[in-house]
Amino acid sequence: MQESVANPAAGSRTGISSQPGGERRKLLAIGWRGRDWPAAWLLILPVLVLFSITVIYPLIDTIRLSFFDIKGLGKPKYVGIGNYVKLFTDPAFRNTLATTAIFTLGTTVVSVGLGWFIAMLCAFAPRQTLPFRVMIFAAFGISEAVAGYMWIGILRPDSGGLLNAVIGIFHPGFAQPWLGDPRTALGAIIVTASWGAVGLPLMLCFAAVQAIPKSLFEAAYIDGASHGQVMRNIMMPLSMPGVRVSIFINLLGALRAFDIIFIMTGGGPVRSTETVGYFMYRESMTQFKLGYGAAATVILLVAVLVISIPAIIQRTAGAR
Amino acid sequence: MTFGNGAGIARGTLIVGAALAGMMTALPAWAQATGELVILQWLGGTEAEMWQKLEADFVAKNPGVTVRELVVTGQGDMRGPMRTALLGGEKVDVIINTWPAFRAELVDAGLLRPIDDFWTSANLDAALDPSWKSLGATDGVTYGVTYTYGDRSAIWYKKAHLEKAGVEPPKTWEEFIASLDNLKAAGFAAPIAMPAKYWAHGEWFETMLLRTGGVEAAAKLATHEIPWTDEVVKTTLKKYAELLKAGCCGTPEQMFAGDWDYAADQIFTADASNYLLMGMWVNSRARNDYKLEEGVDYSIFQFPSMGLGHDDTSSVDAKEVLVTSNGANPAAADAFLAYMTSKEAADIQASYGYASPSKNADTSLLGPVQQVATAAVAQSKVQFVLGDLLPGDLVDEYRVQLQKFLQDPSDATIDAITQAIEAKAQEVY
Repeated sequence: MQESVANPAAGSRTGISSQPGGERRKLLAIGWRGRDWPAAWLLILPVLVLFSITVIYPLIDTIRLSFFDIKGLGKPKYVGIGNYVKLFTDPAFRNTLATTAIFTLGTTVVSVGLGWFIAMLCAFAPRQTLPFRVMIFAAFGISEAVAGYMWIGILRPDSGGLLNAVIGIFHPGFAQPWLGDPRTALGAIIVTASWGAVGLPLMLCFAAVQAIPKSLFEAAYIDGASHGQVMRNIMMPLSMPGVRVSIFINLLGALRAFDIIFIMTGGGPVRSTETVGYFMYRESMTQFKLGYGAAATVILLVAVLVISIPAIIQRTAGAR
Repeated sequence: MTFGNGAGIARGTLIVGAALAGMMTALPAWAQATGELVILQWLGGTEAEMWQKLEADFVAKNPGVTVRELVVTGQGDMRGPMRTALLGGEKVDVIINTWPAFRAELVDAGLLRPIDDFWTSANLDAALDPSWKSLGATDGVTYGVTYTYGDRSAIWYKKAHLEKAGVEPPKTWEEFIASLDNLKAAGFAAPIAMPAKYWAHGEWFETMLLRTGGVEAAAKLATHEIPWTDEVVKTTLKKYAELLKAGCCGTPEQMFAGDWDYAADQIFTADASNYLLMGMWVNSRARNDYKLEEGVDYSIFQFPSMGLGHDDTSSVDAKEVLVTSNGANPAAADAFLAYMTSKEAADIQASYGYASPSKNADTSLLGPVQQVATAAVAQSKVQFVLGDLLPGDLVDEYRVQLQKFLQDPSDATIDAITQAIEAKAQEVY
């Protein structure tokens, strides 16, 4: 039965559906009877209802809201695409696009790059490095709010902050307000977010390396390859599936980033760390301009779809 | 016998009952409230604890009433969670509010019930001066009963710091600027703790605006009757720049790094800074969190006179209780408003360090710092905190532009930021 449900797409590709009722005939040929359809719909109905309530309805309602001007508790006023036009002429929103791009690329490069590199190193001694992998992955399980507060302590502007205290060993009296300086605040948040995110790429890339057949390594070493050559010519190319998944997950997470920014800087100083996710919150929840916030949400949704659809197609290509 | 006695008791009971019934029909509905009273609660910490006591006392005096708090939680501006609750269909009888702009929003949404008739029937004039009544009004209609207020033009300091620097609490602007040098010479690199992470850097601007243009100018700015490019705003910023150029507050990055609580820590625990212009809630933090003795370890002085003709002005904040138009228990809501002006309510507030505007309040119960603040407000022409009067969109822009001013307090920046705020104001009003 599972085969038959998964196969319609394949059927259409093989031309069966090009004939009138071809797909249905194929299903009947493998035992799918007409009277099974009601039962099939009945079984799928709860999922459809749940999906409609939790995904479809909020999505449609958000898009609907984006066409209204809503201020506070006042009555909504239809403005068509006015909110979208205003968004792209709003310097604050344009600034968030740039900040989001930097934050997304920064956290993805740092966390995936670092996770992948550590995974490569760990792959040479899987047993011995287990405690390190567990510790690094544990950071992934810490909520961003908790991590944010922890890093606020590390990045305190006075010499009581851990980072300033460590630097202060070499430069007495050093006191850099990492989160207060518009030049360093975004970088500090990228480091914080990457610290929490590095565990997942590490595990995915490590798993990808572990899936490489042992015979490849044995053959390489018999042929006299060094560790570096094995890493460069076998582990690096064959771990790419793990890297791709990591990049995909990190991009999506970073695009939607909110918690860590809310906790650490509130989008400041001077809006230097305000991402689209935070802008959305500020407009919707602080200003309570629900329509304007919804328009920003739709823009973010489009960005997420632009990234995720090709990735989903690519990742599920093998299922065809 | 028993019956006879019983009959006698029954007859007595009937007479007393009839008399009570007669009295009850003569009493207004709010004086015989029963049922559940729902309060939209967003306050936290010791203030929330104080509210629990107020509610318990109210219930003790109105045994037919039970109180349920609908608690909303959040960080920063609590209007968001409150709006979410109200838009989500929650029905409450009483709303605690501190933003006049939010009250206007609730009025526009038809969520508030006017209380002018109740004010007369409950004779609230006997408890609150007309100025407090007008403070709770929107477009000439009264909605709020103010239950507490605070001085927002008071500068907090630790006595030991000033003693160490040989500084007396400054009375004039010149003395204040001069004291910065003395404090720096005593080892305090940034005498003013300027918390500019979110909103608190606006406090200095707002009091200086009052001292420069008076309450009239501040009120006009709040309603956009004068533009943000007005000379009074620019003069205020130039005075603010004097402070920054005197090296009051460290680097802009240091100012941006902390909120008001971090700034308070810098004075009261880190002994790194000396002055903090902030609301009266610092009193509660100093007493309860830092375990300092009010009036002994720390005190306040009113913002120094600037000699621009408006030194009799102060910025104040206030909290009020509002009653809703869709609440299920308007009688209990009205009874609660009346209770909040009572001596008992004022005493409970005083025990937590909060001043009540009620004439029933015993000011001798207030601590020495709170008494200084109360006296200063009583002698001042007051204006509500500007930031709480501005529409949300505008206040956000105003605070960000002030951050830019802190980065570069030059005349060119003053022109640029006043134009930017004015552009936003044009869009909002």
